[in-house]
Amino acid sequence: MDDLRLIERAVDMNETKISANGVQVYYGDNHAIKDVNVEIADKTVTAFIGPSGCGKSTFLRCLNRMNDTISVARVEGDIRIDGEDIYDKRVDPVQLRAKVGMVFQKPNPFPKSIYDNVAYGPKIHGLARNKAELDEIVERALRRAALWNEAKDRLQEPGTGLSGGQQQRLCIARAVATEPEVLLMDEPCSALDPIATAQVEELIDELRQSYSVVIVTHSMQQAARVSQMTAFFHLGNLVEYDETGTIFTNPSDPRTESYISGRIG
Amino acid sequence: MTDTTPLDAAPAGKPTKSILVEDERTRARNRAEARFRAYGIAAIAIAATFLVILLATIVVRGVPAFTQTYMTLDVTLEANALDPNGTGDRDEIAKVTTFGYQPLIGQALVSLLEEQRIETPLPPPALILMLSQSAPAVLRDAVLDDPSLIGQTVTFELLTSSRADGYFKGRVTRESLARDRNLGPPHLDILDQLAESGHVERRFNLDFITGSDASESRPESAGIGVSMIGSFFMMLVVLFLSLPIGVAASIYLEEFAPQNRFTDFIEVNISNLAAVPSIVFGILGLAIFIQVMHLPQSAPLVGGLVLTLMTLPTIIISTRASLKSVPPSIREAALGVGASKMQTVFHHVLPLAMPGILTGTIIGLAQALGETAPLLLIGMVGFIASNYPAGVAEGFLDPNSAMPAQIYEWAKRADPAYYERAWGGIIVLLVFLMSMNLLAILLRRRFERRW
Repeated sequence: MDDLRLIERAVDMNETKISANGVQVYYGDNHAIKDVNVEIADKTVTAFIGPSGCGKSTFLRCLNRMNDTISVARVEGDIRIDGEDIYDKRVDPVQLRAKVGMVFQKPNPFPKSIYDNVAYGPKIHGLARNKAELDEIVERALRRAALWNEAKDRLQEPGTGLSGGQQQRLCIARAVATEPEVLLMDEPCSALDPIATAQVEELIDELRQSYSVVIVTHSMQQAARVSQMTAFFHLGNLVEYDETGTIFTNPSDPRTESYISGRIG
Repeated sequence: MTDTTPLDAAPAGKPTKSILVEDERTRARNRAEARFRAYGIAAIAIAATFLVILLATIVVRGVPAFTQTYMTLDVTLEANALDPNGTGDRDEIAKVTTFGYQPLIGQALVSLLEEQRIETPLPPPALILMLSQSAPAVLRDAVLDDPSLIGQTVTFELLTSSRADGYFKGRVTRESLARDRNLGPPHLDILDQLAESGHVERRFNLDFITGSDASESRPESAGIGVSMIGSFFMMLVVLFLSLPIGVAASIYLEEFAPQNRFTDFIEVNISNLAAVPSIVFGILGLAIFIQVMHLPQSAPLVGGLVLTLMTLPTIIISTRASLKSVPPSIREAALGVGASKMQTVFHHVLPLAMPGILTGTIIGLAQALGETAPLLLIGMVGFIASNYPAGVAEGFLDPNSAMPAQIYEWAKRADPAYYERAWGGIIVLLVFLMSMNLLAILLRRRFERRW
């Protein structure tokens, strides 16, 4: 793993953006997340790794209350963003999701034009007062998602006509267009080829300037490449959470070691 | 490459199977497949044959209803018969009933026969039987419409009686008329000669499509038009009630409702309702809408309400199916950018489900359009002699029939001329149903989007 240049990577601990304490998630009788405590820093890429079914996606979906849409899911414990409990009764999940954007595993653009895909979030949140402002937001979001050059001449064409990698970047543009503070990414590259993956990873690194990014990934190489902090989940437990360099070079838990060296998973 | 090469190339000692020779299992499999294909083709051929026979029968028997035999007759509207005092006053003229016009027609027929040098043993009152009983009324309406016609000789196109018409359509023969009180072979002799001279002619009859039902004794002037209007008003009621109610119920059940016993119970009942025989809805409508709510009998409003009850389960089931078919990733995407549940449904899910919803609705409407049984119970069948409704309110509230009920009514009547009209009505109904299905296909194409 020399090429990952883990040692060079400087981790400056920013202030905490998200803090989770004693989080339990149940799907009916199934105890999917067991007592997870984690502090996620601002302006940092945090990777969740672990074998399939270990609960990393489930935990990610707790952070913007997407689990609310699953009727059998039950979340206990305390999750705070900027010190505010997101499961407080006064919190409207819709407002929360505007603050905590999400990119999904499979690119899922709306069957509308590229422009409308990006403009939808700002429109429903009233971020633009007129067409010119909306145009500007769309352009900024597409530029941030590194899609502007490819898409600027075909903004009115359907988003579903783009290639897989472009679609995923469109989804990232759609997520950043609402000016979130946290960006959750659930295996954003699993449906992409290596070239598109590299583009998206580069993008994630740039997004770190403005957002707290949390990424779930199956690929340990990807976690090592893009993240500063890594959390290893196994069977619903958060086994180890540390700087990415430490996790990959000097893990303290034998299960982490087994997983990153390929013995379990 | 020759056939033997792979065999030769096989390593010696270890037996290898050539893929160039079919083994026994493969042959059996291929035979089974060939048999299955043959069954499928046979099934399609049988179904297609039945369809062709059905359509051909309908066309062959129904098309004659669209033509009718007319007689061109110059009638002298004698002033001393119609307006003896010469007042020119409409009320005075209206005192002369249709009965008073019959001699004029008889006179006109006699002079036509004289002019054509046709000899007949029949007296004028018997000659009139060649014409429809509606003929005097046609004359009277024309005179009341324009009293200045009195005293003139006017050319009328009068319907011939259904027997005479049937003779030209091959439905009535000289033998079958032997026992007929009204028309006999001497009439047919006259008709043959008048047909030759062009005074009797069979041509397209628009009144069949636009007209109202007629009494038992004059099938030649019966039309499906008024019941078509009844059907139209019923469809309006069904569309404006069942589409919003059905779609709102489906969206709530599919997207918002919690999964519990109560919603399960509702779901099961909706499926059951879809299988309830339509006559049950008819008796329900009779009990609730007419006996309890005292809505008018035989009114398209009531018919529409009953058919709405019948159509709702169909629309709800098809709407829910098309909502289900919208991929969940679209919902997640919308929720992920902070759309509310309702925004998600109305901005993203509903537009994608629209083709399915529209198709389901139109199929439901088409079913309702062809429904007869519930209409029997609320009195939307029977003889509706009235002409066109005077306005929209009358359209909803006045007694009317519906196309399938009218067809049923005609098929019940004794005169074979009505039997022919029943087949003709079926053609009109089928044209409506086919155009609705065509509309469903077009809308589907128009709204379909990929994701």
